Amino acid sequence: MLNKGFFILIILNYSLCHAQEDSITKLPTNHYNLKFSYLSSLIYPGVSAGIEFPVHLSKLQRSNEQTTGKQVIKAHFISGNVNWYHHPDFHDNVYLTAEWEIRRTNKNGIISEFSFGPGYSRTFLGGTTYRMSDSGEISIAKLAGYSYAMLTIGGGFGIDLYQKKKIPFLAIAKMNFISMFPYNSTIYFRPVLELGIRYMPWRLNKN
Amino acid sequence: MRKAMFLCFLLLISGCQKEKISFAEKVSDVFYVDNAGASMRVLVNGNTVTSAFILFIHGGPGVSSYFYDTDYIGRFLGDKYATVYWDQRNAGASQGNINGRNLNLDQMVEDLKKVIGILKFRYGDNISLFLVVHSFGGLIAADFMTRPDCQKMVKGLIDVDGSHNYPLNDTLTRQMLLSTGIRQISQKKNVDKWEPIIAYCNSHPGNFSLEESQQLEKYSTEAENYIDSIKPVNAVSLVLKYAIKDNIPLSSLVVNLLYSEDLIFNKELSKAQFSSELYKVTVPVLVLWGKYDFTCPLPLGQDFYNRISSTDKRFVISNYSGHNMILQDKKLFCDEVNSFVSKYR
Repeated sequence: MLNKGFFILIILNYSLCHAQEDSITKLPTNHYNLKFSYLSSLIYPGVSAGIEFPVHLSKLQRSNEQTTGKQVIKAHFISGNVNWYHHPDFHDNVYLTAEWEIRRTNKNGIISEFSFGPGYSRTFLGGTTYRMSDSGEISIAKLAGYSYAMLTIGGGFGIDLYQKKKIPFLAIAKMNFISMFPYNSTIYFRPVLELGIRYMPWRLNKN
Repeated sequence: MRKAMFLCFLLLISGCQKEKISFAEKVSDVFYVDNAGASMRVLVNGNTVTSAFILFIHGGPGVSSYFYDTDYIGRFLGDKYATVYWDQRNAGASQGNINGRNLNLDQMVEDLKKVIGILKFRYGDNISLFLVVHSFGGLIAADFMTRPDCQKMVKGLIDVDGSHNYPLNDTLTRQMLLSTGIRQISQKKNVDKWEPIIAYCNSHPGNFSLEESQQLEKYSTEAENYIDSIKPVNAVSLVLKYAIKDNIPLSSLVVNLLYSEDLIFNKELSKAQFSSELYKVTVPVLVLWGKYDFTCPLPLGQDFYNRISSTDKRFVISNYSGHNMILQDKKLFCDEVNSFVSKYR
């Protein structure tokens, strides 16, 4: 049921990205952006850093809006991210994700972003971990924790500061859902709020 | 530079796992016990100086010990003793990969033995250990206490609405739902609520399947709401109240509970019983029971009490409780546990 929901969401988002594409101008994609974010689920903090590469960049001009000059920049990125959060007494989670990102930016610099992708998680338990053999010998497990496969999905809104102020940054707030498996033979999920920036050094060269 | 960053990261992570063993009047130590594919969270709260430890064995399977870690218990038990909250495998904050096949009663008793062994390793072999068992925890405790050499690991047992015999439990639940329902209807109380319960009980007379057992449990939880003298307990609001203070991993609680509820393991449990083995129990025992417990009805507690061989035993009934006497009649619970532990420690 949930899988179907995600699938429909992806299709919807993708089809929205293609709506009213009357005039498309392809933009150069040979650059990269850097990502830095603060992560938070409830009160538990974390950070994230990554790099994103555009795989498709296009400028969409809507036919009925050509006179007003309204246009949308649509971009698809592949990103690689390293993330960490700290949940006291539970675990620390370091996870790597590879995401497909779809971002739309309007003329005012308002952006919407949707992303999803697989990942790998390594947790570190939030306390000393003991093992006791059947003969009663007790030892402490070093760096105890688990490896999990992951899937992430998220979406959010932000602003491209370059559009109006020519600052090569983009600020974004995203709600991500991470799922980890097999977690106790089932799937663990966790909402993670991301407050981040994207630094676009290639834009400096344009000035 | 890279090496330095890697070292910083390792220090950060290992800092989270640094062994912390506190001997003080007010401690809060978390450690994990790793066994057979599960890393189980153990929280030690309260006073560890007096060397008397009260280990909670929660219900479920799949519920968590977070529910018992309340301010009240902290204030009125934790001031004198250490209260220990163990999340069983596939419950609460316990973690692992593919470990569902190890979720069985036998393994959980082995887990309990290791939790006790590690508690003694951390706080000393001479600690006085008492078990507080609730609901499904009663089944683990009954299995544990009737195994050779196990009960000598503890000074006493406190059974609070615990179940030691699931088939008998179901029979008694049905009887109590029927008798209470008929009485309530005759008093014109909650007639529309009781009628389907009575109809279900009449059409399911015995030899219960897992589905019937689960339905009876559902009705027994529901029935508590129709008894005026019971103080209602809202598990969700309780968790939310302590979620931030206790760093409760909410989604882990939920997924573990859903997984455990849905397992074939419950089919095995529905036939588990230790009534015929209880004569082996000789340590001091305190039995605390809610008068209006439909989930584990009062005669189940009486069966437990009558069958054990302990000479030091006491049975106390709470007139204001259903299945969660620990929370519904917290003063009586703490008073009784206090005097029991201080007597036998």
